[in-house]
Amino acid sequence: MILAVSLAISAIFGSGVFLLLQRDLLRVVVGIVFVSNSAILFIIAAGLSRGDAPIYPLPEGGLLDAGTSDPLVQAMALTAIVISFSTAALLLGLVYRLYAAHRTVDVEDISEAETREAEALEREEEPEREEEPEGKPAEVELEEETR
Amino acid sequence: MTTLWVLLPLLAALLAAPASALAGYLRPSLAAPVGATLAALAFGASLWGWGMGGGVIDVAWAPTWEIRFAVAFDGLAALYALLATGIGFAVLVYSSRYLPLHLGHEGRPESDGVGFYFFILLFMGSMVGLAMAQDLILIFVFWDLTAIASYYLIGFDRHDPDARASALMALLVTGVTAVLLLIGALMLHAAYGTFSVPELARMVEPGPLLTVSGLLIAVAGLAKSAQAPLHFWLPRAMAAPTPVSAYLHSAAMVAAGVLLIGRVYPLLQKSEVLLDSFLLFGAASVIVGGFLALTRDVLKQLLAYSTISQYGYVVYMFGLGGKYGVAGASFYVIAHALSKSALFLTAGAVTEATGEDRLSRLGGLRKRMPVLAAASGAAAAGLGAVPLTIGFFKDELLFGAALERGPALAALAVLWAALTLAYIWRFWSGIFLGAPGEGTHGERQLPAALVAPVVVLGALVLVGGILVGPFEALAEAAGKASFASPTPVEPAYHLDARPENLMALAAYGLGALIVLSWPAWSRSALGVSRLGERVGPERIYDLTLRGLNRLSDWAHWAEVRDLRSRVAAILLPAGVLVGAGVLATPSAGAYRVGELRAGEAPLLLALAAAAVASLAATRTRPHVTLALVLSGAGFMLAVVYAFFGAPDVALVAVLVETILTLLFVATLKLIPYEVLHRQAELPLQRPRRKALISLVAAAFAFAVVWGALSQPAAEESVARKLLRLTPEAHAKDAVTAILADFRGLDTLGEITVVALVLLGVATLLGRGGTR
Repeated sequence: MILAVSLAISAIFGSGVFLLLQRDLLRVVVGIVFVSNSAILFIIAAGLSRGDAPIYPLPEGGLLDAGTSDPLVQAMALTAIVISFSTAALLLGLVYRLYAAHRTVDVEDISEAETREAEALEREEEPEREEEPEGKPAEVELEEETR
Repeated sequence: MTTLWVLLPLLAALLAAPASALAGYLRPSLAAPVGATLAALAFGASLWGWGMGGGVIDVAWAPTWEIRFAVAFDGLAALYALLATGIGFAVLVYSSRYLPLHLGHEGRPESDGVGFYFFILLFMGSMVGLAMAQDLILIFVFWDLTAIASYYLIGFDRHDPDARASALMALLVTGVTAVLLLIGALMLHAAYGTFSVPELARMVEPGPLLTVSGLLIAVAGLAKSAQAPLHFWLPRAMAAPTPVSAYLHSAAMVAAGVLLIGRVYPLLQKSEVLLDSFLLFGAASVIVGGFLALTRDVLKQLLAYSTISQYGYVVYMFGLGGKYGVAGASFYVIAHALSKSALFLTAGAVTEATGEDRLSRLGGLRKRMPVLAAASGAAAAGLGAVPLTIGFFKDELLFGAALERGPALAALAVLWAALTLAYIWRFWSGIFLGAPGEGTHGERQLPAALVAPVVVLGALVLVGGILVGPFEALAEAAGKASFASPTPVEPAYHLDARPENLMALAAYGLGALIVLSWPAWSRSALGVSRLGERVGPERIYDLTLRGLNRLSDWAHWAEVRDLRSRVAAILLPAGVLVGAGVLATPSAGAYRVGELRAGEAPLLLALAAAAVASLAATRTRPHVTLALVLSGAGFMLAVVYAFFGAPDVALVAVLVETILTLLFVATLKLIPYEVLHRQAELPLQRPRRKALISLVAAAFAFAVVWGALSQPAAEESVARKLLRLTPEAHAKDAVTAILADFRGLDTLGEITVVALVLLGVATLLGRGGTR
């Protein structure tokens, strides 16, 4: 059982990683959801006992191992599910904003646009830079040459 | 009462900086007088405290870490506190005239001077604190305070790139080595459970631990005292205004290094290796500094190299050990500080009057500035160890200490004394004797405040040559604190042919020989010093700094290039760390296949379905299908949860999956079909590489998960306790009880997150179409 659960978790995790590496932002979101899914499954599987639901009345010997499922991990998994759902919703909102701003859901197109913007900003800042030279090595060299 | 005379010098010195800054804030011209008054007060308090016999204050500071606020006003503290406050006072008087002129040349407002006084007084305060601190952590704190103050002082002319680079160099060299001091302190604490220097001195045993930790602390001290090969920051620090050079580089900053060595000397002297390394570094510094001082043309550069050389003597004498060595080292610090600060102030005054700072363009100034010439002559004679000055005794003690260790070391000492005499003669005669230099035609008059401190310091050098008693008592008290037993030395004039006198005579003769033969070999000496600049430690520093800059640029570029590299910058190190953890964990018996009970086949089936659905998502191209596969995988997981005996989780999972699917489809609806279609039709880029990365990630996840799940179950689990308590929370479902009651705070946090996300999504979707 342990082996089977481990295999399933790693399969889900691996799929998530593969999707994360895509250039399509929607697939990236799906990848993140998968990674969260694998984490939640791991939390559930980490329970110390597996059996009936931890709801009263408990079966005979319910407080013993294997009689009742571990309620603590279930509570934690519930929290994790809700948080991961919130994250996914927020990411979908961000994807939509990015689409609205750049008219694309492609990471590479967006990062190209970002680079262009950064270069444009740097060009604007350049005159200021010359007034206040920064970076020590160049100064050292200059000083040595004049000596 | 003891408390009072320990605290008074410390408080007066530490309060000087804020008081002066406050006065300067009200009126810029008030900063200097208020600062000088408090410096004089601190000097008086130190003198009084020493006269009353000192004392100790020891209160808990951070008891859990065994750090104590332990300060003691012993001989060593008295010596350095008197130097820092006394010479600090002289320098402040000098600055009150010098700084307005300096700021005038630079075209800066008078209010800029307030910061100068603040930092020079902060330096004085932390120096007094450092002198009194008995706890290694406290020492480290004051040590770093002096480094910070020195950074601002050296870089005071902040418009000058050279000054900024020099300030950075001083900060880096002394700051990075300060970390070594901290490491050494922590090593000692780990072994002996205390940071207190006197306690450590009682407990430490010679051995590798002492050698390593002592060496780390000593390196911090040597770097601060500008000892070779970490000496290069000091000549560069001459970019500072002259009063700073006079103060930091004669009485304070470089003295802090030997002060540290003197403070931890009771520990260090137990290790022969450490004493021998002091001999080595001291000798190297004396030779490098003395030789380069001979070749320098710029006044302050010559004095800077001279300082390196003179502190080399002090370190060397600590290395020699014995009562002559330790008391002599302290005496040497006094004599040197008096002479050298006077000489620095002379250099500043001469440059102020003529606008020249090169020996080759100066000369013949004795007629125009007779008082300055006489006063600085006395100071120069003191440095050159001429009889009737305090300097004579410093060399007498050096010779005495060297003689104890054999004729070879004694011969070296004579050679070095000759070198000192030669370069200091070159300095003084180059300014005041000979024909007037081409740069000496200025007609500016010297203000009295620029000459008076030199006169006072020069007079002290002469007084010390006749009435050596008080200075000797101070040095002996300091030596006692370092040596842990009395160090009676009797410097006096003896008109007989004892070895010390003969050595002094030999040094004078040799010095005269160097001066006379100097023209013959000055050219080759200059060549050697140029070579040193090309391949010396300063070059290594430059290369290191440049390499670090490039590395940082590269790391920045690699990390923030685009989204994927940013994610990779987090995931890759995390993966490597986890992988290393897995590899380092012993694997024998750590993995179990686990039992498979009857009736668990549906669970296995659901697991397989969830895994397959997830894998299928990687091959799905159209977006709507992707959304459906996503929800399919999610619902399968809900089934898995149900079979795990977790109906609450399964219910929530079904709910969440439904909403998520709807959300996903809704998002797809917001984005035009053409965009999605074009995106879905794009071929995969480098699919093999991505598949490989995913496989490796999955393999690591598998190893970690399998290893974690294989751990045997705990005997008494929290879960069982929670299960038992559930009826008391008036609940039937244990999970509900946990969420709403036992771990209610977690749930509150969860709700907060959901609310924040709601706000975020509403904002993201709400604000118009495009920006």
